[in-house]
Amino acid sequence: MSKNAKARRKTTWPALLCALASLRFLLLLPFFAAPAARAADTLYLYTWNNYISAETVQRFEAHCRCRLKQDYYSDNEEMLAKLDAGASGYDLLVPTGNAVEALIRRGALRPLDHAQLPHLGNLKAEFMNSWFDQGNRYSIPYAYSITLLGYNIEKLRELGLPTDTWALIFEPEYLAKLKGKVTVLNSQRELMAAAMKYLGYSVREKDPAKWEQAKRLILRAKPYWATFSNSTYIKDLAIGNIWVAHGYSNDMFRAQQDALAAGRPFTVGFSTPKEGAVLALDNFVLHKSGKRPDLAHRFIDFMLDGENAADVSNLIGAGNPNGAATPRIKPEIAGNPAIFPTAQEVGRLEMLRDFDAKSRRILSRMWTEIKVR
Amino acid sequence: MIRLGATGERLAKWLISLPPTLFLLVFFVVPSLIVVLASFRYPGEFGGLASLLPLGGEASGLTLSTYRFFFSDYVYFEIFLKSFLVAALTTLICIVMAYPLAWLIARSPKKRRDLLVLLVILPFASNFLIRVYAWIIILGPFNLLYTSFAVIVGMVYVHLPFMVLPLYTNLEKHDPVLLEAAQDLGANAWTRFWKITFPLSLPGIFSGSVLVFIPVLGMFAIPELLGGVGDILIGNLIKEQFLDNRDWPLGAMLSIMLTIAVLALAGLSAWAGKGKGRMA
Amino acid sequence: MKPWLWAASLSVYAFLYVPLAVVVLFSFNDSALNAEWVGFTTAWYAKLLHNPEMLGAAFNSLVIAVISSSVATVLGAMAGIAMHRYRPRFMPFLTLTPVAMPEILLGVSLLLFFRQILDLTLGMFSIVIAHITFSIGFVAIIIRARLAGMDESIFEAARDLGATPWATFKRVTFPLILPGIVAGFLMSFTLSIDDFVITFFVAGVGVSTLPLQIYSMIKVAVTPEVNAVSTLLMLLTLSMIALASRFAPDVLKGKG
Repeated sequence: MSKNAKARRKTTWPALLCALASLRFLLLLPFFAAPAARAADTLYLYTWNNYISAETVQRFEAHCRCRLKQDYYSDNEEMLAKLDAGASGYDLLVPTGNAVEALIRRGALRPLDHAQLPHLGNLKAEFMNSWFDQGNRYSIPYAYSITLLGYNIEKLRELGLPTDTWALIFEPEYLAKLKGKVTVLNSQRELMAAAMKYLGYSVREKDPAKWEQAKRLILRAKPYWATFSNSTYIKDLAIGNIWVAHGYSNDMFRAQQDALAAGRPFTVGFSTPKEGAVLALDNFVLHKSGKRPDLAHRFIDFMLDGENAADVSNLIGAGNPNGAATPRIKPEIAGNPAIFPTAQEVGRLEMLRDFDAKSRRILSRMWTEIKVR
Repeated sequence: MIRLGATGERLAKWLISLPPTLFLLVFFVVPSLIVVLASFRYPGEFGGLASLLPLGGEASGLTLSTYRFFFSDYVYFEIFLKSFLVAALTTLICIVMAYPLAWLIARSPKKRRDLLVLLVILPFASNFLIRVYAWIIILGPFNLLYTSFAVIVGMVYVHLPFMVLPLYTNLEKHDPVLLEAAQDLGANAWTRFWKITFPLSLPGIFSGSVLVFIPVLGMFAIPELLGGVGDILIGNLIKEQFLDNRDWPLGAMLSIMLTIAVLALAGLSAWAGKGKGRMA
Repeated sequence: MKPWLWAASLSVYAFLYVPLAVVVLFSFNDSALNAEWVGFTTAWYAKLLHNPEMLGAAFNSLVIAVISSSVATVLGAMAGIAMHRYRPRFMPFLTLTPVAMPEILLGVSLLLFFRQILDLTLGMFSIVIAHITFSIGFVAIIIRARLAGMDESIFEAARDLGATPWATFKRVTFPLILPGIVAGFLMSFTLSIDDFVITFFVAGVGVSTLPLQIYSMIKVAVTPEVNAVSTLLMLLTLSMIALASRFAPDVLKGKG
């Protein structure tokens, strides 16, 4: 062999070895791209934190002789963003109405087979056929909550403050007595909605000028607020660090129970402001990437049974769209208008609906301003 | 190094350069170009990006609307400005804190020097989140948590080693003879430092500053964990667009703005470095 | 040495170490709220070992670190050799920019790339690729520095003594850069185990790594378990860096 060819052969070797080494490792990678092996009879649920009690889960697992695995999100946006990132394999999701609409329009859901849901009749008529899913082709309502004000009853009585109006967190004359003891939700939609309701507008109002008004209202009140919080207010209210909190009715229920259990010298109360508030109706839906629609249907039907449905009210303090559950709900919860609004109050409640991309962008920039100014 | 025949040389050159180049081309250059492209697209109706081809229903194709949106209000500028200020403040504090330490290391005998350097690097060995978490524990009881002060403390803490190392590398090369001569000529300690040591150490300060300034610009975890609601920096904005708002074109655009800022700074430091050049 | 210099330096060292000491100390705190010291216990470490999410995340972190640092070491070494030997103009820019840029930019661009172009479900694969991308530069710097520090005459001597190029590589070059390769591997391993920002964007659902796990623990519920896992992680990376520093001490003087 010529000298050049020999030299060539000898240089190729180390380079080739390097290439082979990297190749060997790269070949391993596809095995990780494949989804992990899944247990045969497992139902995958992607849901809110603390939305299904452990007892209910155990009863279901015994009933179907299968396993239920839950992953959690703390708001709809987080869930949608994760699904956007390609999360797959969840059989059931529990989105709020506006997120159901988004999922349906994206074609992300599997239609329901009503034949597999014999207990469907248990649901109250006013919660069926919602604006986001006529005919309930994709969703079954599970629970609802109202975004309202929670407060330290004794403290507010002592300060002579009203508890039934948004003015409590927006008017400086009231806030002056509450400085540093108020928290609001760290949620763009929810806080703006509260301000809009206080100003007498609909939460679905798209006029940026009205949003500006709401923004100014919020910025005027902001210096008096302790912070924006989505979850720590539960503990703070129950301990007594905070006297007024803007939050979800089921979280307020928990704070109330916690304060009672800890034997605090005060009580936590919560009520829907008279100007109106946001109602969030959460629903079971089937994601099309789920592997066990049969188990998913069984779960939904299980949760439609009166006794199981009652759990979400009794244990979590959420509103219940299930008529068969009503006799099994504790009277003090069933009679609480902040959890189960009267027909008259329902008229003042509105559900959030997603805006178009352009409006969303304006709203998000407004939210940035609210946080930064 | 190893002498090869001409063709063998060329072959080896290609074989050695190709795999890493190809990998980085595919997984670094291409994604960066996609970000640029994404900033010119419409946001999808439900988040993400709208399609490039008209599919009916939603806007499609390319647009400057995201850029117009960015420039139509000054709140985003404010946040960029604030990020630069935070980065500058962090860098300044790092310089002040790192200097005595770097000097000590540079003037120590060789054996002790390695130990001292290792002691500076070891905290860096802990996970960055742990270092942030440590301050959550410490600042909590003092009611200093969720404030701008906490953010600065966190930023300084995480980036201090990056200032110490280049600085001491530079100081180590200073000839002690210069200082001795100055002392003989009657200069006091402060004059010696300010007129001789400091100017000679500028390239080191510069390298360290670049290593601190640029990462601080892009941070989001520290403001998120240690800062209050208003402590938003560019990194937080970008993260919010991708993971909360799902407004990908805006997120892409903000990333591009950040990239331009960083490239401008890097270019500036390279140009300045060439000018001062000797003891980097 | 002037006393004030020692005082200033010691206070900076204290600034660096006290917070970490607090983290380690409170990992033994017998109180779930971890607000103040109650008593000594190792229960949290035990709890950690029975936490399936934590173990899963630790396993993932290790697997990702091993794979990504192996590939990055090979590719980075090739890049380092190429940069030293052939000095292609584009290569320093290509390998070092992922290292110099704020991490969020790399995370975002890979997120867009994987989702928009490849429509890939984010998971282990995406994380490994991301980690390789930013580690290559580190390894390349180390190897290049190592090569630059080598005395050329040793190769001439080998050649003059009749060694073939392959034999020279095998018995002279390779053993000399081996410490650099090992240091590069250890650095990439550490960087991979510790990475948060980039992993945050490309991890998707279902795959967690230790830093991601720590992050969600800090955001949701802070118990001494976080301190315990932090302490263990610190021990691991500490030993890695200490090892790396013995193989390539000059590298740690900064990339500037």
